[in-house]
Amino acid sequence: MSSDFYKSSILPFAGIIIKLCRAYTNSQEDFEDYYQEVCLQIWRSKDNFREESQWSTWVYRIALNVCLTLLKKKKNNVQHFVSDSVMDEETESNYAFSDESLNLLYAAIRRLSEIDRAVIMLYLEEKSYMEIADIIGTNQNNIGVRVNRIKERLKKILDGKIN
Amino acid sequence: MEKSIENIWKDGFLKSDKLIAPQIDNLYSQKSIHIIDKFTRMFRINLNAIVAFAFVFLVITYFVGIPITGAIFFIALMILFAFNKKLLKGLEKLDKGDSSYEYLKSFNLWIKKHKEINKKVYTLLYPIIFLALIVGFWFKDAKGLPLGERLVTKILIGFPDTYLVYGIPLIGIVIVLFIMGLLAFFGGRLFQWDLNVIYGRVFKKLELLMTDIENLND
Repeated sequence: MSSDFYKSSILPFAGIIIKLCRAYTNSQEDFEDYYQEVCLQIWRSKDNFREESQWSTWVYRIALNVCLTLLKKKKNNVQHFVSDSVMDEETESNYAFSDESLNLLYAAIRRLSEIDRAVIMLYLEEKSYMEIADIIGTNQNNIGVRVNRIKERLKKILDGKIN
Repeated sequence: MEKSIENIWKDGFLKSDKLIAPQIDNLYSQKSIHIIDKFTRMFRINLNAIVAFAFVFLVITYFVGIPITGAIFFIALMILFAFNKKLLKGLEKLDKGDSSYEYLKSFNLWIKKHKEINKKVYTLLYPIIFLALIVGFWFKDAKGLPLGERLVTKILIGFPDTYLVYGIPLIGIVIVLFIMGLLAFFGGRLFQWDLNVIYGRVFKKLELLMTDIENLND
């Protein structure tokens, strides 16, 4: 992967990639692995981009697929479960954001289903329902209903934690 | 007033310093180490399995009445173990501090050396294993007489003109030598096939990784 490709085609979307990767990981180490794997997959798949959608949609789709695949692998890996307790401690320290409300929101997002996490993150990043539907692979109407349901769920989770 | 999740999101990231993209320079370091570690682990398990099998087989053959087979098997497998144990030491000495590409290249060289040595070992090993089985059954006790001698007696009753070399039918020697020749000829290929069955996935990952790094360097 050339640094030019990274700077021009990945870095502009690094923010959302970082946010997505953080929603699927519990430690800095895992987060870095996920981020690097996403970048690598974007680079590997770049020749398959057919311009049928926007480059950003393509990038988000790859990021989501990579995160879901790695999460599935992690779930199947008993060793990772053993080390989860260590990672939880890490979550409290160097992995946390400086803003406490954001930490709580992230913790609530991590309690959602894997797809709901992606939907709400893309919504919070102000992507249109059409773009979210395109990335997730569903129809636009479904997304609207889903976003409202997720927001309700998040509010319920956050109730009692944020005034 | 309670903040909406949209505001928590926006305000949180405005204040946050955690949106820095990780360095991707060391992208391949962990991957290389992980793949080679996986191979080393599998290789070590395989070696231990060879030793365990050699001992178990020795005991079984003793009780089955073909201890010669067990003994030859045991010695042959111990020689195989010794060769590969030495190779494993070389693998463990590979410097992880080298760059990912150099590390993978030295691992690749090690694999080549491993293949070359084991191809030669297996060229001898398969015929020896076959011969061990024949010899073991030949000397197996069959009602007070070795099974081989009993078999020759039966052959001589049916075919009195059978030509014997040191009490063994020449045709039998020719057939055994032919099969041993075939096993020696295909030994290297059988080893290669065996290697691909066990480590094929690791080798494919290694190849992909090296191609990636080469493209990256280009």
